[in-house]
Amino acid sequence: MIPINLIIADDHELFRNGLTELLKKYDDVNIIKSVADGNAFFEVIKEHPEIDIVLLDITMPNMDGFEVLKQLKSLNSKIKPVIISMHDDGNYIAKCAKSGAYGYLLKNTDQDELIKVIRIVNKGKKYFSPTIAEKMINFMSDQKVSENILSKKEKEVLGLIAEGLTTKVIASQLFVSSRTIETHRANILKKLEVKNTAELIKKATQLNLI
Amino acid sequence: MRIKTLIVVIVNSLIFIVVLILSITFYNEFSKVIEDRILLQLNSIKTLKKVQIEKLIQNEWNTFKKDGVPEDSVLMSTQKIPQNFKSGIYDLSEYDQSGEPVIGLIKSENEKRFIKQIDYNKLKSILLERTGMGNTGESYLVGANYTMRSPSRFWPDKMPTQITVDTKGVKEGLSGNEGRAVIKDYRGVEVYSVYGPISISHLNLAILSEIDRSEVIAPLQKLKTRLIGLIIVTMVIAVILSLFITRYITAPIINMQRSLKIMASGNYHKSKGFNKNSIEIREMFNALDNLKKALQGAVTFSKEIGEMNLNAEYTPKGDNDVLGISLLKMRDKLIEFRNNENRNRINTKRLMVDGLENERRRLSRELHDGIGPLLTSLKFYVENRIENKKKRKEMIKLLDATISEIRLMSNDLMPSTIDDFGVGAALRNFVENVKQSSDIDIVFEDLTNAEESRITKNQAINLFRIGQELINNSLKHAQAKHIRLSLSEFENFISFFYFDDGIGFNMETVKLGSGIINIKERVEICNGKIDINSQKGETTFEIELPVNYDSN
Repeated sequence: MIPINLIIADDHELFRNGLTELLKKYDDVNIIKSVADGNAFFEVIKEHPEIDIVLLDITMPNMDGFEVLKQLKSLNSKIKPVIISMHDDGNYIAKCAKSGAYGYLLKNTDQDELIKVIRIVNKGKKYFSPTIAEKMINFMSDQKVSENILSKKEKEVLGLIAEGLTTKVIASQLFVSSRTIETHRANILKKLEVKNTAELIKKATQLNLI
Repeated sequence: MRIKTLIVVIVNSLIFIVVLILSITFYNEFSKVIEDRILLQLNSIKTLKKVQIEKLIQNEWNTFKKDGVPEDSVLMSTQKIPQNFKSGIYDLSEYDQSGEPVIGLIKSENEKRFIKQIDYNKLKSILLERTGMGNTGESYLVGANYTMRSPSRFWPDKMPTQITVDTKGVKEGLSGNEGRAVIKDYRGVEVYSVYGPISISHLNLAILSEIDRSEVIAPLQKLKTRLIGLIIVTMVIAVILSLFITRYITAPIINMQRSLKIMASGNYHKSKGFNKNSIEIREMFNALDNLKKALQGAVTFSKEIGEMNLNAEYTPKGDNDVLGISLLKMRDKLIEFRNNENRNRINTKRLMVDGLENERRRLSRELHDGIGPLLTSLKFYVENRIENKKKRKEMIKLLDATISEIRLMSNDLMPSTIDDFGVGAALRNFVENVKQSSDIDIVFEDLTNAEESRITKNQAINLFRIGQELINNSLKHAQAKHIRLSLSEFENFISFFYFDDGIGFNMETVKLGSGIINIKERVEICNGKIDINSQKGETTFEIELPVNYDSN
């Protein structure tokens, strides 16, 4: 059986030692080295091309986890990064997933979960536990989608303008200030290259925006 | 000296002097005229008497020369008459034994001498005829030895030759001069005297017509009394009139003086009714009114400044309005001072808040990145080294709880998301956490620019704290069912909007700890604007911050 070659990148020595100690119990895991930051990590992987997985902390001095993920992606490396972090907010998880992480673990994860993730990832699959996935999805669902000309909010405002509502009414319906609606309206006019509300409605209808 | 007294004194002095000069001149002229008149009359009386006497004597002499009279029948005693007396008229009084004045006629013919005495009574009747002579007027003759030759009016019982008259008039008359004078007569009484000589043949007499000065000036005395009376009456009238006029003139001046006194004591509002009885006074009052208005303006302005209302405006009355200009300068200085003060205050606050937030951040990081990993390390240790399965499980459970607690504490202090993902994400996480632990419907809409937000770190922290504060406040006090928040980032400003449908609060009496004050302060630190509206069922906070605001 080929052991899984692993490297740990975390700035806390005690944590690294604890983790190493823990993983030594498993015969299919071979810890090549543990480093304190991103720079040291990249030094090591030059000498050890056999590394399969990196257990990567986000918060590190010199070069942090995000940067490491970014560089690994740009290097097209075969190393599969698994994040092991104290942060449990969806935005961190989502950002890491977007940046190419294969898994996301909280530092207080049970060892069973830990070894499970390592083994799955080693097979080339991404894995996020249900709790982690939920947090990520909650965050992503809030994200605005802005591929279109108008933002989601602007579309909403446009719809209400088309209904003939005044700025004040729209503001109170959308729970924003009047000035915000005014600005949205001005931005919509600018984006659709029209000068007044009548033209706006016409153009918006043409573009099937309302 | 009061102006009233001054005017009264000056006017009355002038009137007095004029009246006095007039009276004296008038009196003098009048007395001169009277004197002239009297002397003229005396002179004509004297001349008349002289002519009468000379005529009488001449007639007697002519008759005596022609007819001739027996010697003894005419003359009583001729023994003493010197023999060398030739024919002619003589004053023979000194030879008369009885002492009566005698004017005698002597004619020598053929060694014979005829002597005739002119009738004394005839002379007397001429001289005592006193028509036009008043009570004290008299005419008399004086002989060469300065004794009288006719009776005195005043001393009728005295022999005329016994009365010596040694006056200037007599001397002049005897010397053959005519004239007039005011002199003392034989009685020692002041008289107007007119004198002249009677000189026929050997006769040399002086004739004098005199009248007592006291009689002459009696009407003058009367005039004097009247004039004095007139002066007194005039003066009394003048004083009363001038008092009245002075009152009329000085009343407005006194009014003005009172006004000025009131103004001098610092009260520019009291207005008095004035009677303006002349153009000058009216203009003076208008000037005073203008001065009052100007001062009032300046006073109102300085009062405003005193109350630190530095938006008060004031237009100086001109280049010479030093007071106004100084006040304006003062206001500008105060504005500058206040602005500096404000800047300093905000800076101090900003530094304080920054310090606080930095400290929180440090502590949060310390917990999260320091103690957190240590605890996880400990967990690994427990998992590796503790053989007893039950014990291990308990310890791990405890450790997990501790780690969660640390994570919560760290997040409460300062979520790292704020630095790593911006305020929008941080608020989203915060709202997400609140949702987990309460059943309020709370929605946060994040319209920040996630990729390249221009919200500065300080703005982010302050916005996050404001959101935190608002949500915590409504959880604690508002009894709201719905909370809506939105954070929109635009090109030139950031808008943060909060809404809840709770019980609301009264802006004046609100006591939400220092919550709202903190929010206001944070907005101020960011140079932002805040608009708070609260009523039952609808409470909104509108906050606007400028973009590109340099927080340093």
